[in-house]
Parts: sequence; C-alpha cells; structure tokens
Amino acid sequence: MSGTQLPANLSAEMVQEISERRDEPEWLLDARLEALEALDDLDLPDVIKTPGRRWTNLEALDFGSLVDPLNQADETERTSDEGVKVLTFAEAIEEHPDLIEESFGSTIDPTENYLTALSAALFTTGTVVYVPEGVDAEDVTVRAEMSSRSLFSHTLVIAEKSSSVTILESIESGEGAAQSASGSASGQSPQDTVDAESRYFSNLVEIDAGENAYVQYGSLQNLVADTYSYALKRADVGTYGTVNWIEGNLGSRLTRSDVESDLNGDSAETKIVGAFFGHGDQHFDVNARVRHHGENTTADLVTRGVLDDEARSVYEGVQDVGNDAWNTSSYQRENTLMLSDDSEADASPKLIIHNHDTEASHSATVGQVDQEDLFYMISRSIGPTRARNMLVEGFFVPVLEEIAVDEFREDLQELIAARLE
Amino acid sequence: MSSNEELQNTNTEERFDFKKEEKSAFQTEKGLTEETVRVISEDKGEPEWMLKRRLRALHQFQAMPMPTDWPGQPDLSEVNIAEIVPYIRPDVDVRAGVDDWTELPDEIKDTFDKLGIPEAEKNALSGVGAQYESEVVYQNMQERWEEKGVIFCNMDEAVQEHEEIVKEHFMTKCVPPSDNKFAALHGAVWSGGSFVYVPEDVTVEMPVQAYFRMNSEGMGQFEHTLIVAEDGAEVHYIEGCSAPKYSAFNLHSGGVEVFVGEDAHVQYSTVQNWSKNTYNLNTKRALCEAGGRMEWISGSMGSKATMLYPSTVLKGPRASDNHITIAFAGEGQNIDTGAKVYHNAPETKSTIESKSVSKDGGRTNYRGLVHIADGAENSSTSVECDALMFDNESTSDTMPYMEINESKVDVAHEATVGKIGDEDVFYLQSRGLDDDDAKQMIVSGFIEPITEELPIEYAVELNRLVELEMEGSLG
Repeated sequence: MSGTQLPANLSAEMVQEISERRDEPEWLLDARLEALEALDDLDLPDVIKTPGRRWTNLEALDFGSLVDPLNQADETERTSDEGVKVLTFAEAIEEHPDLIEESFGSTIDPTENYLTALSAALFTTGTVVYVPEGVDAEDVTVRAEMSSRSLFSHTLVIAEKSSSVTILESIESGEGAAQSASGSASGQSPQDTVDAESRYFSNLVEIDAGENAYVQYGSLQNLVADTYSYALKRADVGTYGTVNWIEGNLGSRLTRSDVESDLNGDSAETKIVGAFFGHGDQHFDVNARVRHHGENTTADLVTRGVLDDEARSVYEGVQDVGNDAWNTSSYQRENTLMLSDDSEADASPKLIIHNHDTEASHSATVGQVDQEDLFYMISRSIGPTRARNMLVEGFFVPVLEEIAVDEFREDLQELIAARLE
Repeated sequence: MSSNEELQNTNTEERFDFKKEEKSAFQTEKGLTEETVRVISEDKGEPEWMLKRRLRALHQFQAMPMPTDWPGQPDLSEVNIAEIVPYIRPDVDVRAGVDDWTELPDEIKDTFDKLGIPEAEKNALSGVGAQYESEVVYQNMQERWEEKGVIFCNMDEAVQEHEEIVKEHFMTKCVPPSDNKFAALHGAVWSGGSFVYVPEDVTVEMPVQAYFRMNSEGMGQFEHTLIVAEDGAEVHYIEGCSAPKYSAFNLHSGGVEVFVGEDAHVQYSTVQNWSKNTYNLNTKRALCEAGGRMEWISGSMGSKATMLYPSTVLKGPRASDNHITIAFAGEGQNIDTGAKVYHNAPETKSTIESKSVSKDGGRTNYRGLVHIADGAENSSTSVECDALMFDNESTSDTMPYMEINESKVDVAHEATVGKIGDEDVFYLQSRGLDDDDAKQMIVSGFIEPITEELPIEYAVELNRLVELEMEGSLG
C-alpha cells in the first residue's frame, strides 16, 4: 500500500534550512533528517478496508502539491497559568534543552508512519506545556491560526508527578489561508479535488503524564473547508495518572484524527471524548484507541457525531487489553446522528482482549433524530426546525459535560449552534 | 429408552474421537493442476458447463493471493494446497448413494452410529444425507415430500438430474468463485454436498439433515450445498460436522449457497467439530428476496483455525436475517467467525447474536460487517456480541464493521467481554456443585440462546461437545 512517494519538492537541504532558521540543536536536526530519510519506506496510517469499500482514501492525496515546507506561517496565542510553563517549541528548547530532547518522540515515534515522519521533518510550530511537580494549573489555552498553504505542528505536554493541568487547543484558518465557502457540496470525492486552494495541516501531540498527574487536553479544529488535516495525539499515562482527551472536529474537508492513550502505569485512567459535526462534503476519519498495559486501569471512550448534507464519517475505536493488564475496566460508546439522507457513517468499535480479568464493553449506534422526541416537542408548539436543532444540541450534551474549560465548552456550543442555522 | 437418553449414555469420547481405517477406491494425485480438475469432472461424468466453471474457478484461485492483511487473522501459512488430496471417494459399491440405511456398508454405518445418526433416523427425521469422506453415500427422503416436489439429493446427482436449476444457481449470483481465494478453490474442486429444492408455497416441517465427516489424512473436504427455496417455501437445513483427530493438517473449504424466494423462510444450522488440525475456511451466503427470512445458526467448536462469516444479502423489501453464532476455542484453536449482512432494500431487518468462549490459550474473534445501502430506508440492525474468557492465556477479539449509507435507519451494536463470574461459581458451589460442574453449567447457560434453536439431538450433541471441551481444562 506504499502509494506514497517522497514529494519532489522536499530535500535534506530544505529540512536543514528549517532547522537552521530556528537555530535548533544538532539532535533535533538529526531527528528531522532521519524522519525525512525514512519517508521512502513508510506507509500511510492504516485505513479500514472491507470488501468493496475503502473507508478513507489517503493514498490519493498529493502531498507533493499540498506541502510547502519553507513558507509555513501561523499566529498562535498562548495563555498560561501560575507555575506552568507554556512555551513555543523554540523557546522550550532554549530553556529546557535536556527535557525536550528526552521527551521529543518518546510517545510518538516520528517514523511510525509516512505522515508522522513528514510532520517531524518539517514542523515549524508547536507548543510545550511543562507542568512541574505538584503544580495545579487551569485554563492553559493555545489558539492557533494557520496562515499558509501547509503547516506542521508538534506539541509536547510534560506533566510531572502529582501535577494537574487543563489545556485548550484551538486551530482555525487565519488570513493567508484562503477562505472559501465552507462545505461546498460537490459530487467528487474530496481526494479528487486537491487544487491550488488546498491546505494541509498536521498536528502531533505527545503527552507524558507522570505518577498521579492529571491532564485534560481539549482540542477544537475548525479549519476552512479546503484543508486536509492529520492529527495524531498520544498520551503515556503513568501510575495513578489520568489523561482525558476531548477532540472536537468541525472544520476541514478531510480530517484523519487518531487520539490514543497508553495506560502504562498501574491504576492509570483515561477518557477519550470525541465530537464531530460534518456538513457539505466533509470527511471525518476519527479514531480513539486505548491500550491497557498496567493493572487496575480504566478507560472510557465516548464519541458523538452528527452528519449533514453529504458528509461522511469513519470511526474506529480500539480497546486493547494486554496480557498483564489485570483487573481492567474498559468502556466505549459511539453514536452517530444522520441529518441527511446523503450522508454516510462507517463505524468499527473493536475489542482486543488478552487478559480475562477484564470487564469490557462497547456499543455503537447510527440513526436519525428520534421521531417521537421530535413529535413531542412539536406538540409543545416548538417549530420543527427549532425542535430538531434543540435535539441535535442535546445530543452533544454528554460530550459537552466532560469539558472542564468553560471557554472551550462555550466555543464548541457556539460552533454547533452556528452550523445548525 | 428414548434416543435422547441413549445419546446421553453413549460415551462421548468414543463418539467423537475414533478413526476408521481408510479404504479408498480412488485418490487423485497430490497437488492441484488443471489436470486434477479435469480428472475430477470426468470421473463424475459432468456436463461441459460444469467443467468450464471448475476451470474458470481454478484460474481465479491461482491468480488470487492468500489473504494475509486482515487484522488479527489466523495464520494460514501452513495451508499448503499442493499437499492436499482434493478428491477422495469412499470405497463403497454404490456411486450415487443408497436409499436405505441397511444397504450401507457396516463400517460406515458404525461410524455414523457413534455420531448418533441412527437416532435421528429412528425419530423419523425428514431425510439424512450423510457424507462419508467426499461422497454422499446415504440419502433418504420421505415419500410425501417427493409428492410435493421437494428435492433433497447429493449435489453430484443434482448436476445430472436437475441440471437446469443447478446451472442457474451454482456459484453464479450468490457465491461467485471470484469472491475469495478459498471460494475459488472450492469452485475448482468441489465434490459432494447436498442439493435442496423446495417448490413454491411448500413447507418442509421436519429439518433436513446432512452429516459431514472427514476421515482421510491429508484430505480436503469441498462439499457444496445449494438450497433453493421458491416463493413462500419453508425449510430448515441442518449440517453437522465431527471429525476424528489426525496428525497431518486437513483443509475444509465448503461452499453454501441459499436462495430465499419471496416470503420464503430458510433456517440453516451447523454444529462444526472438525478435528483440531483442520483449517475450516468456508463461504456461506444467502440471497433473500422481498419478505424472505434467512436464519443462520452456527456452533464452531472444532478446527485449528476457522474463518467463517455466513452472509446474507437482503435484496428485497422487508427481507430479514437472523444470525446466531457460538464459538468455542480451546488450546491451539483460533476461531475467527462472525456474520455479514447487506441491507440492499427498504424495511429490511437483521439481528446478529454472537457468543464466544475462549480458554487454555484459545483465541476467538468476532468479525462482522453490516452494510446498509443508500435507499434501504427504515432498515434496522442490531448486533450483540458476548465473550467469556477462562484464563489469561486466551484471547478474545471483537471487530465489527458498520457501513451506513442511509439515514432513516436504526443501527445498534453492543459487545461485552468478561471472565467467568467468581460470584456465580460461588453461588453454585454453595448449592452443592463442585467447581467443574459449576463452570460447565455457567457455560451451558451462556450458550443456551444457541442450543434452544436447535433440534434436541443437536442441542444434546452441542452440550456434549462443550462438556468434552470443558473436561479437558478443568479435570
């Protein structure tokens, strides 16, 4: 399946230039070059195939024309809380060289697949959130605007022993990334229409949660409709640690998002909460995965999505319980609501259980707005459109309730409401 | 003594684990070539069109790669087609089968005795097509059905006697050889199996049964079952498999095609207990017309590796499908099974209920696909998978796939995995049962939704097999 080639416009010199411009240490340049070199042998991330159907066709993306490494630009606002360091990647390397060298690539191997390698070789932006031992921090926000044809971002969160932090990340398209009518319906599959207006955004996030650390990482992606976006977010959760993810996807033409927690420490916990709302001809390929390695670990995966117009969703949820993961509890729910007859939803919730001392369950549903609910509301003299919209907003409540950062919850609510208008 | 008691009094070990000396009149050369396929066809005196279909399937088989890229699939690297004698015929005088039980050679009768076939016969069950090695040697059909026009015969015979029906349905619309590598292999070398034809508005009250059995080392079993139920017809077909243990590997690659006419109802039940060195790679599919109803009930107990996903294509409005499967994987077994349902018409309905038990390092995997096509309005599907694990060496995977291209649908999937409940065991022990009996009883209760769908003989046998499996680990 290696349909990917090194884009012709990429070269070691180019990577060197990116690194030099940023005045990076030797080890990072080496890591970038290594990733670049590995590109030839790497495959795109796995995509589900069933007889006669390929759930997402990443192969057709022409990365050569999407990627413009030397002209990356972004406007990112970062707010911090007392005791926590929220730095740009460049600042972090200067202030904490050893820590960054140790953490970079420790959770996500840059050469894991073609897209991670591309990202590691070319990233020019990113944030480091460093929460020292015992610090409680709230409301760390990172608001990024993408203002170039392609942008590669790499974020590190290091939460030391008994620290806690809530982080909100939002990604939008700024000026410079051409605005186009959001969700223009077209009969073609998204892959066929990579053109001069197309954008590519790549976002890798690594979280290292130490003993008894708590991290909530919320993310809201609302890029313009001709953007192709790839996100891989992975947490290494230590003993008694908790990492809760919230992944909101509203924008882009095609998004591939993988959110993963490795419960390596005993009694580690994770929640992966996802929300998406597709319209036009958007395609969301969202994936939530948890790997239980330690004992007494708990995971809860909750994803809710709404599809309108010709939007399409692909969901894979994996609960992988390792051989030594005694006394595991693992739950997964996925619900998709279809508002339009032309939308399509694929779902595959998977259980891989190697330890019998496990309580695991998953469920998935696909359906439309409940007709009885709708009837009830109309009988209470609420107009049909408003009734439907209220039900859709209500559908997202279980996800909204998980969000600890008020600002984030309000943003997401507003975006959902705006999309319903 | 009722047949039920008699069955219970039979020594289970003896019933399922014995081996007859093999005597064969004819064995094809090892390996698979065009020549082999021609020999098979010629020996059966088949019409030209069937030979052509076999050869076409052979070419497709040769062109297709082995499936290796399924996540978590069983290892098939030991399946070496060249080592398999694809065709073998028991050394009996009759070529086309016999009509009376008493005419069967003693040796074969003895084999079936131990498997409980005579009991089924004594109970005046509708008809038994029993396959010893690759050929149906025993056929019986009650006269009143013949009057109604019901046909139940050996597949080889059907090619000759009912050529038009077979030509229309045999590996054409339902399971074309191009479907997968093993369907293609099957298409090239198939031999034996059953043909069931039920005319319009005829109901076959008693289940139609066929018992398959492999008894020759290194032999592949490629039986083909074709069931055609015309509009408004109703039939329950039962296939059971039990094979003795061998040292060399065996391959079983059967094909089952079911045509469910408008408002017809077909139930297909299997209890599979191939020996622990068999690769069981089958293709089973039903095409269901408007208002038709298809039911698949399968118990997978034996084999080294099973890959089996009975499929139903709901072609017409209001067609419905019901899957009930149970998989039991003990030491060294990898049971990869599930269901596939395509909703291609409005108001179609499907339910899938899957139960699996894994122990002593066994591996079970539920792999299922539900596809709802655009326009299949008001369709609904519900999938439920429950897995029970006995120990930490075992593995239990659940991999459902749902493809929903229609909004006016109701789709639900649920799965749970758990260990055998300590509290349940404790409760039963407090009532005077020992640990083994308690666990056995819990497993029997766990699989009850399956056993209650089967006729009593099969339910008893399934329970026996479970008992046998349980004894191995708990004794």
